[in-house]
Amino acid sequence: MRELPPTVYVVDDDPDVLKAIDRLLESIGLNVATFSSPRQFLEVYDGNAPGCLVLDLALPGLNGLDVQRVLEQRGSALPIVFLTGRGDIAASVQAMKHGAADFLTKPIDDTALLTAVRDALARDRALRPAQLERERIAKSLAMLTERERQVLELIVAGRLNKQIAAELGTTEKTIKFHRGNLMRKMGARVVADLVRLADRAGVGSTSGN
Amino acid sequence: MNWVQIAWVMMIAGSLMLGVVHLFVWQKQRSQYANLLFFVVAVSAAAYGAYELARMQAGTPASLAVNARWSHVPLAVFIIAVVGFVRLYFDAGRTWLAYAVIGLRLAALALNFLTGVNVNFREITALDHLQLWGGAVVSGPIGIPNPWAIIPQLSNLLLVVFIVDASVTLWRRGGAVSRRRAAFVGGSLAFCVLAAASFAALVVTGVVHAPTILMPGFFVVVLAMGYELVWDLVAAGQLAAQLRASEQRFRTVVEAVPSAILLVDGKGMITLANARAETVFGYQRAELVAQPVEMLIPERLRASHAAVRGDYAGDPQARAMGAGRELVARRKDGSEIPVEAALSPMPTKEGLFVLVSVIDISERRKLERSAARQRDDLAHLSRVAMLGELSGSLAHELNQPLTAILSNAQAAQRFLAQSPPRIDRLAEILADIVKCDHRAGAVIQRVRSLLRKENSQLHSLDVNDVVDESLRLIHSDLMNRQVMISTDLAAGLPAVSGDRNQLQQVLLNFVINGCDAMDGQEMDRRLLVRTQATAHGNVEVSVADRGAGIPAANLERIFEPFVTTKATGMGLGLAICRSIVEAHGGRLWATNNADRGASLHCELPAAKN
Repeated sequence: MRELPPTVYVVDDDPDVLKAIDRLLESIGLNVATFSSPRQFLEVYDGNAPGCLVLDLALPGLNGLDVQRVLEQRGSALPIVFLTGRGDIAASVQAMKHGAADFLTKPIDDTALLTAVRDALARDRALRPAQLERERIAKSLAMLTERERQVLELIVAGRLNKQIAAELGTTEKTIKFHRGNLMRKMGARVVADLVRLADRAGVGSTSGN
Repeated sequence: MNWVQIAWVMMIAGSLMLGVVHLFVWQKQRSQYANLLFFVVAVSAAAYGAYELARMQAGTPASLAVNARWSHVPLAVFIIAVVGFVRLYFDAGRTWLAYAVIGLRLAALALNFLTGVNVNFREITALDHLQLWGGAVVSGPIGIPNPWAIIPQLSNLLLVVFIVDASVTLWRRGGAVSRRRAAFVGGSLAFCVLAAASFAALVVTGVVHAPTILMPGFFVVVLAMGYELVWDLVAAGQLAAQLRASEQRFRTVVEAVPSAILLVDGKGMITLANARAETVFGYQRAELVAQPVEMLIPERLRASHAAVRGDYAGDPQARAMGAGRELVARRKDGSEIPVEAALSPMPTKEGLFVLVSVIDISERRKLERSAARQRDDLAHLSRVAMLGELSGSLAHELNQPLTAILSNAQAAQRFLAQSPPRIDRLAEILADIVKCDHRAGAVIQRVRSLLRKENSQLHSLDVNDVVDESLRLIHSDLMNRQVMISTDLAAGLPAVSGDRNQLQQVLLNFVINGCDAMDGQEMDRRLLVRTQATAHGNVEVSVADRGAGIPAANLERIFEPFVTTKATGMGLGLAICRSIVEAHGGRLWATNNADRGASLHCELPAAKN
C-alpha cells in the first residue's frame, strides 16, 4: 500500500489565527489544509487520508467536541490537537476521554504546537496499519453468514469439528463445508491465522467460555 | 301765604335741587348724558312751576295771559328733554315718533307766540277766581279758546305713545333693571303726561272749570326720574366697592403666589412686584417699581430683550417665555440665576401691560444635575459589572489577535532560520502582525471606553454602528454560550443623539438578557438584532430571543429595579437601561414574539440637526 504524505488539517473560525497557524506549520515543511468552519472540513475530509487535525474548541455552529464526535461516529481515528482560548477544564477532560491527542491553550507556543502535531502525526502513522487491518477484518467478518460466524466462534474456542457439529446439531461434513468457506472469506490459511484475526477483531471474547 | 304757594315753592325748589345734584354728577362724568338731560328736565319743570304759580296769582287777565304764554317755553324744553332722556336712558323709542313729538311741540311753541294770547286762548277776557281745597283761591282764565290748541294736544298724545312704546320695548328686553326702569320711569311718565295733557285739554275746552295745574305731575316725573338715576349712582358705588375688593383680592393673590410676579407696562416699566420678587431678585420692592424691567436681565442680553418685548407687544398671548431656551435673570448682587418665566397680557386703558411670573429654578437645576450624575454613576457601575460578566469573552477577543501575532512571529523566526532564509515571507507576516496588533488595540480601546467613568456625552450616532460595536464585544461570549446571532439592520436610519457607551450598554444588556432567556435550552439558541425606523421618524432597536417568553404580568415589570427572572443577577441591568434610555428621551418595552420567545425594544428619538 502506497503511503500518502500526511496533511495537517486546521480548523479555526478566526481568519487571522488560521493564517498564522498555517504559516507556522508550513515553516517546518508540513502539508497544511485550512478550514474556517467545521462543516467545511467535515465535507472535505474523507476519513482515510493520513494526518492530524488542529481544531479550535470554540466554534460557531458545531463546536470542537461536536466535530470530534462526528469523526468518532464515522470510525475515523484522526488524532486531534485541540486549541482553546481559555482553560476550559470540563471540555478538555471530555476531549481527552474521547482520545484527543493534545490540548493547547492560546496563544500557542510554536514548539508546543509543533511537538503536539508531530506526536499526533506519529500516532496516526502508528495506528494507521492496525486501524487498516481492523477495518479489513471487520469487512471480512461482515461477509460471514450467521452460521459461519457461529462456527468461527466455536473454532476460536478450540472445539473440534465433531464437537461443533454436535453442538450445532448438524453433521461433521456440513461443519467442514462452513469451515472452508469462512477460512476463505477471512483470508486465513491455517487455524492459527484465524484465531489471530478473530482475536484482533475481538471475536469470541464474549461467547468463548 | 296759602298752602298753594308753599307747595309750589317746595316743588320748584325740590326740582332745582335734584337737577343741580345731577348736574354735578354729569360734570364729574361727562359721558353720563342722562344726568344732564335730567338736569334740563328738572330745571324746566321748576321754571314751568314758577310760571304756573305766577299765573295762579295773577291779578289781571293780561298778566295771566303773559305768564301763560311764557310758560310754554319751559314746557317745550321739558318735553323735548323728556324725549331725549327716554331715548338715551331706555335706549328705546321710535325715532320718527320722537321727531314728531318735538316737531309738533316746536310748532305749538311758535303758534303760542304768533296766535291769540297763547296757543290755548285766542283771548282771555276775565279772571276766574277758583276756590281750592283748604280755602285757597287761585286765578284761572276765562276767554275764547284758540283753535290751534289741537297742535300741543297732538304733541302730548304722541309723547304718551312714544313713552309707552319705548317702555314696552325696554320691558320686553328683560332683566330686573330694564323692567324696573320701564315700569317705574316709563309708567310714571306716561301716566303723568297723559293726566296733565287730558286735564289741560278739559280745562282749555271749558269742560272742567279749574286752573291748568301741571306742576304736581311734572314733579312726580322729576321724582321718578331722579329716583331711578339714584339707582345708577348706588350701582356705581357698589361697583367701585367691588372693584376695590377685587383689586385687594388680586393683590393678596399676587402676594401669595410662590413665584415672583411683576406687572410691566407698555414702556417696559415695572408697576407692581410681589414679596417673592424681592427674594428672587434681591431688590426691595421700592427699588423695582417704576424701573425698567431690563434691570433684571444680564447686561449682555438687555438689548435683545427690549426687541423681544417689542415683538411680544405685537402679538400678545399668554405663553411661557423663551421656550426651549435657558432664561437667565440678574439679581441685585450681580449674580445670575436660571429662571422660568410665563407672560400674560393685560390690555388696559393705559396700553398693554404684561404680567410676568418668574420662578427661580436654580434648586431644580441642581437636583437635575445631581440626578443625572447619579444616573451616570449607576450606569457606569452596572457597565463595570456587566464587563465583569463578559470578561471571559473580552479575554478571548484579546487572545485571538495575540495568538495570531505570536504564531506569525514564530513562523517568521522559522522562515528566517531556514537556509536560505525565506525573507520573501516576512512582508506579509509583518503586515498581519500589525493588523492583529491594531485589532487587539481596538478591543482594549472599546473596553477602556466602556470602563471609563464620565458624564454622559451626546453625539450624533448611527445606531447600526452601535449594534456592530456591541456585537463585536460580545461575539465570543455568544459563541461560548452556543448562541447564534443574526442581524437585520435597516439602511438609511436617521442619526440619534446619544452617549455611545451607554447605548452599547443597553444593547449588550439586551443581548445578555436574550442569551439568559435561552439558558438550559438545547435547540434553537438564536438571537435576532433588528434596527428600523419607526412611524414617528425615530429609531427602534430590538433583540428577539427564542426562549420561553415573558409572562404577560411581567412584561412591564422587568424594567423595574430588583425584578429578575434569573437565578443570578440583581435585576438592575434593565432598570438601568431604562433610566439611560429615558434620559435619552426614548423608551424601553418588552413584547412576546408571535411564535416563540420575547423581544426587548428600545426606541430612541432621531437627533435634531
